[in-house]
Amino acid sequence: MITVQAALSGLLLGGLYALMAAGVSVTWGVLRVINLALFGMMLISAYLTFAVATAWGVDPLVTLLVTVPAMFVLGGLVQLTFDALKITELNSLLLSFGLLIVIVQAVSNIWSADFQRMAADVNPYATEAVHIGRFVFPAPTLLAFGVAILVIGGAHLLLRRTFAGRAVRAFAEDRTVAATFGIDHRKVGVLLAAVAGAIAAVAGMLFSLGNALTPATAFEWFGTVFAVVILGGVGQVAGTLAAGLLVGLLSGVVSVTLSPAASPFVLFSAIILALLLRPQGLFAVRTVVR
Amino acid sequence: MKGLLGIVAGVVGLATLSLYRETIGFPMFYLVLLTTMLFWVTQATSWNILSGFSGYFSFGQAAYVGIGAYSTAVLYGRHGVSFYLTVLVGAGLCAVLALAMGTIAFRLRSLRGEIFALLTLAVPFILAALARINGDIDGGQGIIVPIPEFPAGIGLFQDYLYLLTLVVAGGAVAVAYAIYHSRFGWALRAVHDAEDVAEGLGVATFRYKLLALTASAVLGGIGGSLFALQIGFVAVDSIFHLTIPLFVIVMSVLGGRTHWFGPVVGVALVVLLQDRLTASGLGEWQLIALGTILVLLVIAAPEGMYARIRSRPLVALAAAVVVTAVLWFVRPEPLDALLGGLIAATAVAMWPRRKRAVPVTAPVPAQTDAKPPEVRVERPPPVELGAVVVEVAHVARYFGGVRALEDVSLTIREGEIVGLVGPNGSGKTTLVSMLSGTLRPTRGTIRVAGRDLAGLPPHKVAHVGISRTYQIPKPFASMTVRDNVAMALMFGRSPRPLAVARRDATEPLETVGLGRLADAYPASLNLHQRQLLEIARALAADPKVLLLDEALAGLNPAEIDNAVEVIRRVHEGGVSIVIVEHLLRVVNQLATRIVVLDRGTCLADDEPAKVLADPRVVSAYLGRRAHARDR
Repeated sequence: MITVQAALSGLLLGGLYALMAAGVSVTWGVLRVINLALFGMMLISAYLTFAVATAWGVDPLVTLLVTVPAMFVLGGLVQLTFDALKITELNSLLLSFGLLIVIVQAVSNIWSADFQRMAADVNPYATEAVHIGRFVFPAPTLLAFGVAILVIGGAHLLLRRTFAGRAVRAFAEDRTVAATFGIDHRKVGVLLAAVAGAIAAVAGMLFSLGNALTPATAFEWFGTVFAVVILGGVGQVAGTLAAGLLVGLLSGVVSVTLSPAASPFVLFSAIILALLLRPQGLFAVRTVVR
Repeated sequence: MKGLLGIVAGVVGLATLSLYRETIGFPMFYLVLLTTMLFWVTQATSWNILSGFSGYFSFGQAAYVGIGAYSTAVLYGRHGVSFYLTVLVGAGLCAVLALAMGTIAFRLRSLRGEIFALLTLAVPFILAALARINGDIDGGQGIIVPIPEFPAGIGLFQDYLYLLTLVVAGGAVAVAYAIYHSRFGWALRAVHDAEDVAEGLGVATFRYKLLALTASAVLGGIGGSLFALQIGFVAVDSIFHLTIPLFVIVMSVLGGRTHWFGPVVGVALVVLLQDRLTASGLGEWQLIALGTILVLLVIAAPEGMYARIRSRPLVALAAAVVVTAVLWFVRPEPLDALLGGLIAATAVAMWPRRKRAVPVTAPVPAQTDAKPPEVRVERPPPVELGAVVVEVAHVARYFGGVRALEDVSLTIREGEIVGLVGPNGSGKTTLVSMLSGTLRPTRGTIRVAGRDLAGLPPHKVAHVGISRTYQIPKPFASMTVRDNVAMALMFGRSPRPLAVARRDATEPLETVGLGRLADAYPASLNLHQRQLLEIARALAADPKVLLLDEALAGLNPAEIDNAVEVIRRVHEGGVSIVIVEHLLRVVNQLATRIVVLDRGTCLADDEPAKVLADPRVVSAYLGRRAHARDR
């Protein structure tokens, strides 16, 4: 009984993991940059949600009006910098690591390193829960799950069905060829990175609904997010969602059946197995690797 | 040797500061600062051995510090085990962790560097979670590490700690120095520049990377054990923190990560900067400053300070002395003045210099202006065919559902030049990759000199006697032309030390006509010269069979004729050659036999005249619709 509840809660939580990983995965797979600054953008958005909702007394969802445009611009700017410097994959990791450290320390200087949580009167979701039979689902998790499905599903459809999406996929497969067919790689790249920033803003907001915040949270996301990215297959949007759900489910069940301490290990073993057996991602469509 | 003496002299010099502290009136405060610096020297050097030398970035330095600190804190602090023993235990645990991480990450074929970086990013968090959740390890509250007993003559505990840290830091730098100047270091540099090529020339890359990772982990662990003494209280949050990888990366990148001494320079600057920021009450800006420095460095000076300082040492030194003196006069705080001096030296070193036009010292190949390109149509004299060296039997290779090769069999005898031709996508490169061991056949066997290649890693295949060139030349960019060739000699079939390899490199260089450019760097070579370098390097590996993968692509007619001459010379030296080429004129000129591949099968295998007259070959090249039969 408890196991089933844990499995379901984990599954729902997995939606948020997937959302956090989506931007990282797509920018890595398509733009060939590993952008750790996205973690910083999630952190800023989470804190902005907290600050704006607290100061103005608005519904946390409304803060998206501030955070989404801000992170859209920031994400695009970071990518413009990467482009201008013609940066390599490893150097992008290094550079964005520097950026992330700056962001985390700035957040810590502004909002202090202590745990912060939105007060109950501005965050109507924190205390709500949906009861289905004997199972309980907290509203923040449900909301996060719903938004994650919407955003990732939407992104998936955009990539599959629209011209811009096809351009992005062509770009991911071979940028030179895509460029000769008239796809302006810088425009596509900056737009994509900006969208990844916007998704990070949404993820940050959703995280702040159900969790207390501390600047170090950004680093704690690393393990889970990269597990999802690698399991889902770098650059695979739908794979990210599936992997997020799987990771959530696995952590949930292991925490209850074994112990919370075991969950990082199970996760880690899963990554290692996946890397060794299916390096292209668990859910990737088989492609020709030469 | 000079460097090692320098390290010893440095250690002795620094040791006297503590041993005669009272006599010379050396303030305790400076000793504490120096201890901190020495801790970071150990850590940054440890990081540099793997990440700087081989280019595999690690974010996991905190894992080694953590394991070392926790081993000491738990075993010595809680259970009273001898301190020195706990240092060994910590180092051993670090080695185990390194071997496990390396075995997983370095076995991967693609994205090795990126996956390794992410793996190292995750490991400290997992260790931290383990320590935090299992309260049994540290009693849940953190552990107080008592002061161990130390010889009476040393003075205070701070002196003892300082000397201990000094010895470890000196040892770490000495290890880095030894690695840098040995075969090991050259192997790591080759991995950094072009890993696949290094493996193909006979460098056991996996083993060297694993060794470097283990050395790095052990040094980091030992430093971590001392760190436990230094901070006196070990808790999860003070150890497994991202500031540790941030610091070591910034220090090494700032100082220069390709040189053994680079990290030391970076440490001096960064620690001093940290200390001064804290002293001015700007402690919370530390990380922002460091993060910014890292970003700027990646953008502006990825090669670091040390290389720049070395190229203008006197100017940098003068700037440092002058600024220090002036600042000391203005503000009588020596550390402020020193930091100002160091920053001035950095600025001078990093200042972009005007690029002056350099006169061309190496003229372009002579034949472009001398004799007109002469197309030799006559065939080389028929060679005596020797024993079979390569035996490919019923080999197939699939990529997912794509059949790149299907049931291909061929033999190559000593003294042959086999031209491997076929339309694009016919499987030529796949066959070359399988011969050189980078791809495994899905079915069938390949034997070289009687030895089955199944299960041999590429560097072993190189030792059996196969070497290859790459269609797009991949020289080791950080080494001179001579050293590129010397690499192949050092790690080839008959390994030899660097000095000998450098001397012996002259011969292959003369064979391809690059003798004049031996001391140039690959960046200054043109495409033709790079392709000749590829051939010289492959030749230096002393192969029985040389695989030339489109070694003439993109050359002009004069260069092609020159390359053909070179290939002839190589062949006359007794090497069998497989040449993959689109230019039938060249193949016809050179080959003693032509093998035609088409859609993964062997279409023809005979002497050139017969093959080129074969109607099936003509249609494969000139006429038939490619999609008539398939799909």
